[in-house]
Amino acid sequence: MHALTLPHSSHYDEMLLSSGAVRPHYQGFAEWLQAQTPETLSRKREEANQRFHRVGITFSVYGDESGAERLIPFDTIPRILPASEWRALEAGMRQRVKALNAFLHDIYHDHEIIKAGIIPAEQVFTNAQYQPAMQGVDLPDQIYAHITGVDIIRHADGHYYVLEDNLRVPSGVSYMLENRKMMMRLFPELFARHAVGMVDQYPALLLSTLRQASRVENPTVVVLTPGHYNSAYFEHAFLAQQMGVELVEGRDLFVRDDRVYMRTTAGHKPVDVIYRRIDDAFLDPLAFRPDSMLGVPGLLSAYRQGNVILANAIGTGVADDKSIYPYVPDMIRFYLGEEPLLNNVPTWQCRKTEDLQYVLEHLDELVVKEVHGAGGYGMLIGPVASAEEKQLFRDKLATDPAGYIAQPTLCLSSCPTFVEAGIAPRHLDLRPFVLSSGKDITMVPGGLTRVALKAGSLVVNSSQGGGTKDTWVLED
Amino acid sequence: MKLTICHSTRYQYAEPASRSTQYLRLTPRSNRHQQILAWQLTLPAPASQSVDAFGNITHLMTLDAPHDSIELVAEGVVETRPNGWDDDASRLNPLVFLRPTPLTAVVPVISTLAHEVAGQAGTVQERLTVLSQEVLARMPYTPGVTDAATTAASALTLGAGVCQDHTQVFIAACRSLGYPARYVSGYLLSGAVDHAASHAWAEVYADGGWLAFDISNQCTPDDHHLKLAVGLDYLDACPVRGMRRGGAGETMHAHAAVEQHDN
Repeated sequence: MHALTLPHSSHYDEMLLSSGAVRPHYQGFAEWLQAQTPETLSRKREEANQRFHRVGITFSVYGDESGAERLIPFDTIPRILPASEWRALEAGMRQRVKALNAFLHDIYHDHEIIKAGIIPAEQVFTNAQYQPAMQGVDLPDQIYAHITGVDIIRHADGHYYVLEDNLRVPSGVSYMLENRKMMMRLFPELFARHAVGMVDQYPALLLSTLRQASRVENPTVVVLTPGHYNSAYFEHAFLAQQMGVELVEGRDLFVRDDRVYMRTTAGHKPVDVIYRRIDDAFLDPLAFRPDSMLGVPGLLSAYRQGNVILANAIGTGVADDKSIYPYVPDMIRFYLGEEPLLNNVPTWQCRKTEDLQYVLEHLDELVVKEVHGAGGYGMLIGPVASAEEKQLFRDKLATDPAGYIAQPTLCLSSCPTFVEAGIAPRHLDLRPFVLSSGKDITMVPGGLTRVALKAGSLVVNSSQGGGTKDTWVLED
Repeated sequence: MKLTICHSTRYQYAEPASRSTQYLRLTPRSNRHQQILAWQLTLPAPASQSVDAFGNITHLMTLDAPHDSIELVAEGVVETRPNGWDDDASRLNPLVFLRPTPLTAVVPVISTLAHEVAGQAGTVQERLTVLSQEVLARMPYTPGVTDAATTAASALTLGAGVCQDHTQVFIAACRSLGYPARYVSGYLLSGAVDHAASHAWAEVYADGGWLAFDISNQCTPDDHHLKLAVGLDYLDACPVRGMRRGGAGETMHAHAAVEQHDN
């Protein structure tokens, strides 16, 4: 028997009711789990750890002085989604990403959504993520975000909410793929008992998305990495290898006559599509940060001339900025004439006096986030914050209100997870990866499930002690 | 007024560079203020021409054989008018020019300066003229104490600088007051010392149009001024921005001459 801690009724658990009853789509897994001894499962978890170490799936944490690489803990209890829920999520993400791409095209062309008074001009044009260099650049099929990671959570009300859209260089897909491979290796019998949607076609879909992004007939695609010091280097190398394309660093590329070339042992080869895993600011030291050693001098000019495709485009960050996030439902209505299928989290924009007032009065209940923060840093979780932490944020809000937004404290759903004391509920989120091309918007069924391993914690980021789970979408 | 311009820039390397890539903003465009009658670039390699998001004519040049020097010459004849500055070659929203950049970050010393003049009576033009006077008073024209990487904040703290520094402090101050402001690089017929022929000044968006301020010379730019490029700061608008591999021991010599064309 496993020592099982039941979920509290204050939040939604993906597998169990607070009575201990198992939700229908977890029935098969629960039966299997019952039949396993704790010793077998513990041995399997150990095996998983060893294999991950061997494969080299590690990440380094920013600010960790030792520069030590850590293994992201992997939990062997999968997060399972019924087919019907995935279908609804998929339709919602497709709609959302379509609107976000339309928004990006608009703000870098005719600014219709601003003229219509839906988004204030200064929110867009003074946003640090808005790239003036993109004004008037025509991209094939008007696709800006070829790859989007949509962060979704399920609240206590049982409904899904989009927490944020990641349109810059979303990472984590390698964990989705490796977690699945690991589960199939450890527990092949589980996959015989369940019809689980496949995810291993992701690299092929990604390659096809990248190739379709180019107007060139048989385009040369490369993956551009900042190098092996980057926390996601493993993923860059992994995806390049899976797609069968070159992994390059900035110094391997150069620009001549507004064309990008790669140095190879066989001479110079033109490059048509760059799947770049480098932030905008570092792409071209002659156009952006002059001290960047990671980019390619002249790249912006080649890009503006339409001679190379960058995936994602330059300047997509303005659409996933927390200050723009509250407007996504309006974007869907404006560009698509549809009602949003996925919920946005209600958001107070502290730049507005009345919103700021509300936030200051309800600091105990809210989550306050830096507009430009990422990775779970620079945020206040009101209900669990100390008096000092709250005072610090009062001061921050007083000096720079526009730098912050606030949202209700969402209670992320939980899922049973192996912990020291047996199996206990831990909170999680979900990041599916959405691929956009002129032809269609596709995604593999599933995504990256991140889990907060500390009891009660709502922070799932790997840099702050989060782990991952395999994500199953059941087929009908 | 008809002006002839000859602007040469020479980079010399103690050890050869294996590759250089440069963005050149050395070609003015015709507008209501200036009519380009003839213009020519003489470069060591072919360069591809395009127009950047600010509306500047740019050339991208790559030298991929080893070289120990690069010589760039821009020359031409331009007819200028005293006015017609309110010209925008880009389709950017003016609010873009409220954005701070690393070189023009607004720090307390700049916003304090800005707000000292903000309260004054008068039109925007008048108040910003006072601001311009104040900038020059606090940082008298002093060549050689700042360089291309000097930020507005440090130049103001230093209390000295050249046209580039005056312009960057001025536009940072304007932005802190809520006025979109941009950096202009260009040429000036000064009649005096030739180092001032390559020049920088500012444009500020107010009441639906762009106003021009030459801070270093305390004047409104006129037909002595020829506009080359605009941007958020020096780095966006400077005539040459390049990178190289190898090429240790760089020395750079630039010479710009602007003369009144006689005929």
